[in-house]
Amino acid sequence: MATEARDRIAARDRVEARRRQVDAPSTLRDDSDDEMIVSFPEFVFKEFIAMVAMTVFLVLVSIFLQAPLLGQANPGVTPNPSKAPWYFLGLQELLSRFPPLMAGVAFPTFVIVLMILVPFLDRNPSRRPSERKVAIILFALYMAIVVALVIIGTFFRGHEFIWNWSWVLGNPQTCGGKSC
Amino acid sequence: MKVIRGAVDEMWSVMEQMVGSIFRHGLPLTDKIAARTALTNFVLHIHPVRVRRSWIRMSYTLCLGGLSFFLFIVLTVTGLYLMFYYVPSINHAYQDMRDLQFVVTFGGLIRNMHRWAAHAMVITVWLHMARVFLTGSYKKPREFNWGVGTLLLLITLLLSFTGYLLPWDQLSIWAVTVGTNMAKYAPIAGPYTRYLMLGGHAVGDATLLRFYVMHVVGLPLIGFLLMVVHFWRVRKDGFSGGL
Ligand code: HEM
Repeated sequence: MATEARDRIAARDRVEARRRQVDAPSTLRDDSDDEMIVSFPEFVFKEFIAMVAMTVFLVLVSIFLQAPLLGQANPGVTPNPSKAPWYFLGLQELLSRFPPLMAGVAFPTFVIVLMILVPFLDRNPSRRPSERKVAIILFALYMAIVVALVIIGTFFRGHEFIWNWSWVLGNPQTCGGKSC
Repeated sequence: MKVIRGAVDEMWSVMEQMVGSIFRHGLPLTDKIAARTALTNFVLHIHPVRVRRSWIRMSYTLCLGGLSFFLFIVLTVTGLYLMFYYVPSINHAYQDMRDLQFVVTFGGLIRNMHRWAAHAMVITVWLHMARVFLTGSYKKPREFNWGVGTLLLLITLLLSFTGYLLPWDQLSIWAVTVGTNMAKYAPIAGPYTRYLMLGGHAVGDATLLRFYVMHVVGLPLIGFLLMVVHFWRVRKDGFSGGL
């Protein structure tokens, strides 16, 4: 083999080895035996399929499902119940149960800061699910609580944001005593 | 006859040159051509040219980060169309929405797509976060990108929330009233924060303009810059690959 080519390969191996030291903690699966492939066109094609599927899905939903548009905004007439968009209903639900300073400010701030700190709080270097039971259970709990609060806020809160089973069956929202 | 043949040949070669100037490498029939295509193409440069097969299994990412980004693009394009017809003032906004729904060509479809894509993006970003957590992909050296991601989640929620007000119907102003009321409970800064968001003491014309400006310029710009950093770091930190 020409020395030039051999040098080049040796240099590349050195870089690879250094990369591995820096980037890949021992917890990473050793994938150095996996086949190397060119990302284009196979991978790009998969992405393309995902995009087309999402586009088709969106167009179909948009043809059959009309985005809501109620009557014109009227600051004088408050709908009852008044609800935040669904992704904030968890917060609204907390607000209806706890003091506002806690539910509306302290709690969300705490969750956001906690989330950013997650990689520094989780000292366990492993990435294998079987070795991260605590982290996974805590996260699952967090997700379950969020989903439960959003579902309660969406379906089980009627007039005055009071618990109401019949809301499921379509308890109508009213605006100043009349339907909206 | 010869003259015509010559002219056709000439035109053909000009056309070939035009196409060739855009697609420089022909069909990717060999790995070498494919690699060169990916390396020198702007749209494709976001991927590594060579990857391990295990990194690109769809069962690992479920394509959720990519789909979030795609939905962001769908929202930008449909949003532009809506902007042609929408005036952010309380005297026009609601009527413009009705026109979009009933008068403008494809207005209803585009509005629906914009709305449902926004909901879908909240869900895909949320699920992407769950994927990253469950695969432990936030661990060293990706701590920083997890933080960038958290900010992206916030931006996504704020984009949805600011958009919610724009139709100016009963749903929007009261949802935003409820949402912004939460801000006022913060100690000391609370009432000021709320005033800053609303541009007054109640949801009104100033609020609509503020939410519109943040919705169509401010937040998308911040979100886009964060995404650029996010993707850069995915490349530089190395994709976490299979478990
Ligand atoms: C607008 C929102 C977001 C977009 C468009 C986005 C996009 C992406 C893309 C395309 C990837 C490549 C891998 C994949 O598709 O899974 C990725 C990876 C990553 N994302 Fe996001 N993301 C967003 C939000 C988030 C959030 C909310 C978090 C977490 C709080 C996050 C944390 C990460 C991390 C840590 C990686 C590296 C994962 C790995 O190497 O396995 N991202 N993101």
